[in-house]
Amino acid sequence: MMDWSANHSGFVIASYAMSIIFLAGLIVYTFNRDARARKRLTQFEKTKK
Amino acid sequence: MQQFANPTQFLSLANKALPTIWAVTTILFALGLYGALVTAPPDYQQGETVRIMFVHVPAAWLAMLVYTVMALASAVAIIFRHPLADVAAKTAAPIGAVFCFLALATGSLWGKPMWGAWWVWDARLTSMFVLFLLYVGYIAIWQAIEEPTRAATIARIVALVGVVNIPIIKFSVDWWNSLHQPASVFKMGGPSIAFPMLWPLLVMGLAYTFLFLALHLISIRSEITARKLRNLQIARGEN
Repeated sequence: MMDWSANHSGFVIASYAMSIIFLAGLIVYTFNRDARARKRLTQFEKTKK
Repeated sequence: MQQFANPTQFLSLANKALPTIWAVTTILFALGLYGALVTAPPDYQQGETVRIMFVHVPAAWLAMLVYTVMALASAVAIIFRHPLADVAAKTAAPIGAVFCFLALATGSLWGKPMWGAWWVWDARLTSMFVLFLLYVGYIAIWQAIEEPTRAATIARIVALVGVVNIPIIKFSVDWWNSLHQPASVFKMGGPSIAFPMLWPLLVMGLAYTFLFLALHLISIRSEITARKLRNLQIARGEN
């Protein structure tokens, strides 16, 4: 088990926090982009009709 | 294999596969983080700081793997002229750039307590930084050039020329004197890491790989949708 009070544990916490934030951000960005693209296509197809 | 190059069939297959890929990704991350933060022992020299390895090394592996995927897709686009190959290369780049940035940033956070410096212009670090610049350059080409065919041609060349950097990154620690430690997993004679540290590292590597696969499939789907819309707008005379 990680010793959270050990020397330099702040560097470990910062690494994990940074990885989680950036990967979560990438997931959110990817889903948003996909949802936007599908919404635009649906709207376009509706106006075409 | 030919059937997967058809965008409609590809989308159908991707939509079916995505829930399973997300489930596997979640399980692998849970297992990998448990191994990394709970079961793996501290290193006899580095202490708890060694745990940075479990997020740093998979990010670096994926940064190199994703660029290799981009180069292979670009080669397929040149040889077979299939537009889905360009889509695959284009959509992989932002994901690879994030992995590359994370490898550099977490490496810097590991370097400060171990080497006493956030950054050194060492062969491994410099070649990894060059990879990040290649990613940024590749993305900039697609953003800057409006005409898609021209952007694709230049992007393919950049991806194929830049792939030369991948073996340079891999072997930089052997070819030059480096502060960075030499390879300890993928090397002749097998891994030199103790099993309690090796398995969480491999599981995290797989988790990152599955995350890339999931994000890449969604990004390809978005790009196909965006291109379909663009083609419909052109057909209707809107653009």
